[in-house]
Amino acid sequence: MNERLVSLRYRYWPDHLVGEILSKRWTETAIPAIVLVIVAAAFSEAIPGFLSAAGLADTARQACEIGFCVFGMSLVIIVGGIDLSIGSIFALTDFCALFCLDVLGWPVWAVIPATLLAGALLGAVNGILIGYFRLRAFITTLITLIVYRAAYDLLIFGHSNQIAAAFPDIPIWNFIGGGTIFGVPSIVLVYAAIAIFGHVFLTRLRPGWHVVAIGGSRRSAFNSGIPVRRTIAQCYVASGFLTALGALFFAARLGTVGGDIGVGLEVTVLTAAILGGISLGGGKGSVAKALIGTLIVLLITNGLTTLSAPGGVNRMVLASILLIAAMIDIRWVKNRNRIISKVYVSPTYHAMPPIPATDPDSGTPFALNDRLRDVTEIGVGRIEAPEDIILDGDDNLYAGSRHGDIIRFFPPDYERMEVYAHIGGQPLGMAFDRNRSLYVCVGGMGLYRITRNRKVEKATDETNRSLRSVNDDSRLRLADDLDIADDGRIFFSEATVRYEMHEWPVDGLEARGNGRIICYDPNTETTRTVLRNLKFPNGVCITSDRQSILFAETWGCTVKRYWFAGPKIGRVETVLDNLPGYPDNINLASDGNYWLALVGMRCPALDLAWRMPGFRRRMAKRLPVDEWLFPNINTGCVVKFDEQGRILESLWDLGGVNHPMITSMREHRGHLYLGGILNNRIGRYRLAHADPDFVHYDRRWGITA
Amino acid sequence: MRDRNDGPSYGRRVTAAVWFRPSQQNIVFALFAVLFVLFSLFLHGFLTTDNMLTLLQNVAVLGILGLGMAVVVIGRGIDISLVASLAVPPGLVLQMVQNGHSLPYALLTAFALSLAFGLVNGWLIAYAEVPSLFATLATGLFLAGLGQVALFKLDVVQWSPGMNALTVIGQGTIAGLPVPILMFGLTAIAVMLFLRLTRIGTYIYAIGDNPNAARITGIPTRPAIVLQYVLAALVGAFAGLVLAASVNSMPTRIYNSTLIYDVILVVVLGGIGLSGGRGGVLNVVIGTLLIGTMLNAMTIMDVSYSGQNLIKGLVLLVAILADSFVNPRNEETAQQGDI
Amino acid sequence: MAGLMRWTIPVFAGFGMLALMAATPARAQQGLDEPFQAQFNKALEGKVVAYVPVAMNFDLTEGWYAGVKHELAPYGVKVEVRDPNWSTNAGAQAVTTLLSEKPAVIIVHNPDVQTYAKLLQRAEKEGIYIIQINMGSAYRSTVFVGANWTEIGERDTTAVVDACKGKSNKIAIIQGALSAAASAYTLKGVENVLAKHPEIQVVSSQAADWDAAKAKAITQTVLKQHPDICGIVGFWDGMDIGTAAAVKEGGLTGKVFVATSGGGETRGACDQVKAGAFDLDVSYDVPTQAADMAAMIKWLLASGMKAGETKSSIYTTLIPITKANADAPGTCWSLAAMQNKP
Repeated sequence: MNERLVSLRYRYWPDHLVGEILSKRWTETAIPAIVLVIVAAAFSEAIPGFLSAAGLADTARQACEIGFCVFGMSLVIIVGGIDLSIGSIFALTDFCALFCLDVLGWPVWAVIPATLLAGALLGAVNGILIGYFRLRAFITTLITLIVYRAAYDLLIFGHSNQIAAAFPDIPIWNFIGGGTIFGVPSIVLVYAAIAIFGHVFLTRLRPGWHVVAIGGSRRSAFNSGIPVRRTIAQCYVASGFLTALGALFFAARLGTVGGDIGVGLEVTVLTAAILGGISLGGGKGSVAKALIGTLIVLLITNGLTTLSAPGGVNRMVLASILLIAAMIDIRWVKNRNRIISKVYVSPTYHAMPPIPATDPDSGTPFALNDRLRDVTEIGVGRIEAPEDIILDGDDNLYAGSRHGDIIRFFPPDYERMEVYAHIGGQPLGMAFDRNRSLYVCVGGMGLYRITRNRKVEKATDETNRSLRSVNDDSRLRLADDLDIADDGRIFFSEATVRYEMHEWPVDGLEARGNGRIICYDPNTETTRTVLRNLKFPNGVCITSDRQSILFAETWGCTVKRYWFAGPKIGRVETVLDNLPGYPDNINLASDGNYWLALVGMRCPALDLAWRMPGFRRRMAKRLPVDEWLFPNINTGCVVKFDEQGRILESLWDLGGVNHPMITSMREHRGHLYLGGILNNRIGRYRLAHADPDFVHYDRRWGITA
Repeated sequence: MRDRNDGPSYGRRVTAAVWFRPSQQNIVFALFAVLFVLFSLFLHGFLTTDNMLTLLQNVAVLGILGLGMAVVVIGRGIDISLVASLAVPPGLVLQMVQNGHSLPYALLTAFALSLAFGLVNGWLIAYAEVPSLFATLATGLFLAGLGQVALFKLDVVQWSPGMNALTVIGQGTIAGLPVPILMFGLTAIAVMLFLRLTRIGTYIYAIGDNPNAARITGIPTRPAIVLQYVLAALVGAFAGLVLAASVNSMPTRIYNSTLIYDVILVVVLGGIGLSGGRGGVLNVVIGTLLIGTMLNAMTIMDVSYSGQNLIKGLVLLVAILADSFVNPRNEETAQQGDI
Repeated sequence: MAGLMRWTIPVFAGFGMLALMAATPARAQQGLDEPFQAQFNKALEGKVVAYVPVAMNFDLTEGWYAGVKHELAPYGVKVEVRDPNWSTNAGAQAVTTLLSEKPAVIIVHNPDVQTYAKLLQRAEKEGIYIIQINMGSAYRSTVFVGANWTEIGERDTTAVVDACKGKSNKIAIIQGALSAAASAYTLKGVENVLAKHPEIQVVSSQAADWDAAKAKAITQTVLKQHPDICGIVGFWDGMDIGTAAAVKEGGLTGKVFVATSGGGETRGACDQVKAGAFDLDVSYDVPTQAADMAAMIKWLLASGMKAGETKSSIYTTLIPITKANADAPGTCWSLAAMQNKP
């Protein structure tokens, strides 16, 4: 009864979401966002109409003007600098706009580009000095702040009277300054457009990545060939440009060249940027952070002014909120990863029937024997971690290695070897297609193809993003094994979407269905997820009817069959259940049955722990990783089964003398070749009654030697 | 004192030996010398004892503030709240005396306020790990607000007769030297002794050079950082007293001015890198002299205030440009976070 | 309706008087309802006057606030302060917010001639009376109350020129901020006088940015170069405390005539003049300005006139503070007294 409750609680309560949400990058912005909500709520409580449409529109114009400057400042901070001259650039470009409009009498369409160009040029001065001459940003922009401000003072001394006398009444100019479209102020639309572009720029576009990379580590960015100087210079130009944009709207709204326009603006802007969570020193920041920071600062100052708070109180409250927010935020950012590592592992309930007997005299098909004791060894000590192996019609043996290579051993004695292809990630499953291109599932990278002339090509590394998943599951994290259907479609398993390859035992600790079967169609080059929520799907093999695949679920200890075509399309049936070990790769045997590798044997302790998610959660929280309970992978076997789910035979290496663990096997011309992900060798076992001409993928594609 | 590109530290005690090296400090000094000679030759009334004293006197407060800032910057921090430290505690002294409290009592209260303020700054930066730029920005704002709300009636706090005992630190001369210059000199010597002769001074250099390494070595980095900001706050308050005594009032509105930028300029221009661990009192003195010379000469030439800023800015730009050509930084030598 | 009331009430009142005369003598001894004050009270009751200075916490703005509030609060007028604390942008935002809050009157103290101009224009269109105090805007609103800066410049300069008679004829000018309108207008006044006195030589004319320390630095340098200078025109007494300190340190008190201007608060003005720091401090008497504003507000609210229908200015009568009258009561005003006025 109690266990039933546990099982229901873990089936319906999504524990894993907490960790997944926390590990989202945007949760770094959580604290500023919460502060913003609190501030907005507090003021709307205290001031009637504070958050009304009219009140918001009033605030929005000013907020967006400053918001543009905050964008500029943020960009510059992200690239690892700072721009103190923003306030002075704001003043100068404001003057430029009004001078062109009021004194020179230019039309508005000419004033706008002239102002933006002026801003960009002023920014370019900073950019050239800091980017190309590599002066220090702080002192350089401090000096340009003084110079630009002095220039502004001198300019308005000569022209402020002319500008003050002019009250231009130009509809388009008034629209820029005070117009609305469907009640939304004109500036908000421009701001939204820039914000969306800025977000895409920083997160999706190459130049944006360059900016973040330079801020993160200028030296590494330089060494990886990013044009550091030019990018930095461009950031300052962009900062000037954005500031000019803000100034343009300001000029249209108020039409003033007063003496202290933009004085101290850099402090407000800097405050907003840092408060939003854009850290000084570079490499961190987003558009949302800039926006939130701007809103917090402006809501506080405007709200308190509206409440008739004396200026000093205003300052004290603002300062206090800034400090408290910063302190919490710093704690949060600092400890976020620690919290994530504590809560990310979220074990669930997983009950298994008792383990079938495997004693030598038990009489079950799994009875232990020593048949693998005398395997021939290939490449001992020269190959590392051959998770999967495959042979072609010319008897060449291909094996993956931990170093990200496909190694080829040459017949007849398999003494000679070479690197067949370098992929860069560890190969975990292999299959030949009709043209003898080798398809490889690469952990952490996706599905790759090695053509006959040894060219490595990416087939796919992403699938459709599922709507209900919090983690971005579009990238392939752990593509594991594959097989190819008659029409060329490739079905492959992805073991887990929650962990990286080296963390696979942790997925076993969770025992949740985190894996999936994905289909890649090379004809249309599309990738779709076809089955979800599988417990570490592993081996994949096409069945005799060519309409379905067999796939192993490692933590489920089952082999299932999935129809992708034919009358039973879409159905899933269990073929093998309650295996005594954890199934891995499945491959065809020459007699039409299937070979299945058991990578490790179940043990009662983990079976029991799987029924106690609370226990495993406490373990994950309180113990260091190397003291956790892990699935056993120190011994294993190969079994043969048929499509009806009968175990026909099993091959063991008792005591693990030659083959301590087995993750894959491939039958080839009367031999069974054995691979293991922790092995330093490939085993070759002579099969007594096998077809001496059987070549797996020649048989598969009907090629006769 | 060496330029910060020279590699691992052994050098702040080899001042004389490397005098000829084209570090930023020496470039600024050369620029100062060139300007000084030019003005002396071509500007009537520049090179007189009286004018020299005026020159120094006019930048004395700036120089004292620079010394306070230098302590913090050497420890790889920055103290934006220095102007608030300058304005508020001395303003409090004037206000309390105006309200009829005795001068010692007022001074003691202001000292306590400065101390508390420095401790808060230091705690925020050392223990709460708020970046110094941001922390001092906010605390400065807070202190200025506190002054407006609770401490002062008006933002120009007038001198009252009760204060006259303190006039001596801002006005008049001792042995022919105007007192503010002496105050600057005294502060400079005190800060120099602190940085060079005390163990904590050495710690501050170590922390500025590499905070993590300093911590691993066993240096009590956090208390040392707190001490930096306490010192800065006290030096700032002292500068404020000198200023108040000198102009016979405390214009607390000075908080709104851009004085802090001038202070940073004096420090950084003199060659104390914002990345910390380098430089010393001499750098501040040289930076102050350059600014003082330019301002004085331009005032004599009757250049307008904005014109002065423009020229000042351009000359400074030349100084740092020259430095970047003589001591080029590149992506390999640049320190992360050195903005 | 209002027009009708304006006519009918006196008529009815007239009838009432006749009726009273006809009545018995005993009844004639009863009190009489003053016919206009109810209407006046009603017009003022519950109205909001918003006050946007450049900042609170200094003598002028605090004085105006105290004075206006003292005059209006008894009639149920609420005076609200929006304190931008020296930030022009915050000030503009405060005025913008007021546009949607619609108080009856906004008193603005402009930071410069332009920033609020467009907003004030909008406000008057929406029926809010705008009263500008001391610092005018390019937009001329219903009322401007304030000092005539040009006149201040003229008076100060005239005094300095007079003091220079028979001396070196060298003077210095310590301006405020280049971009501030008050500073520019005052400078115009200075120029007006100097145009009539070609013998006067201006050895230095610089902006000290309203900063006492800067004023002191400039003055010191100028005095070292020209120890024979005979007068200095300063633009604000708060800043010229620095100027005076430099003069005092140079031992030239009494020899250099320092003329300046300000709000006339005792500590900043009369005390300084008595101490010899300033020889002339032209005061635009803050209590008078506050009273002028309060009167205008009362009149505007009671009259029901449309905002911006007429536009006019009230220039403040200036009080020249010299040693002669610095001690006299009424020359200066005390902020504390004004705030604590019953």
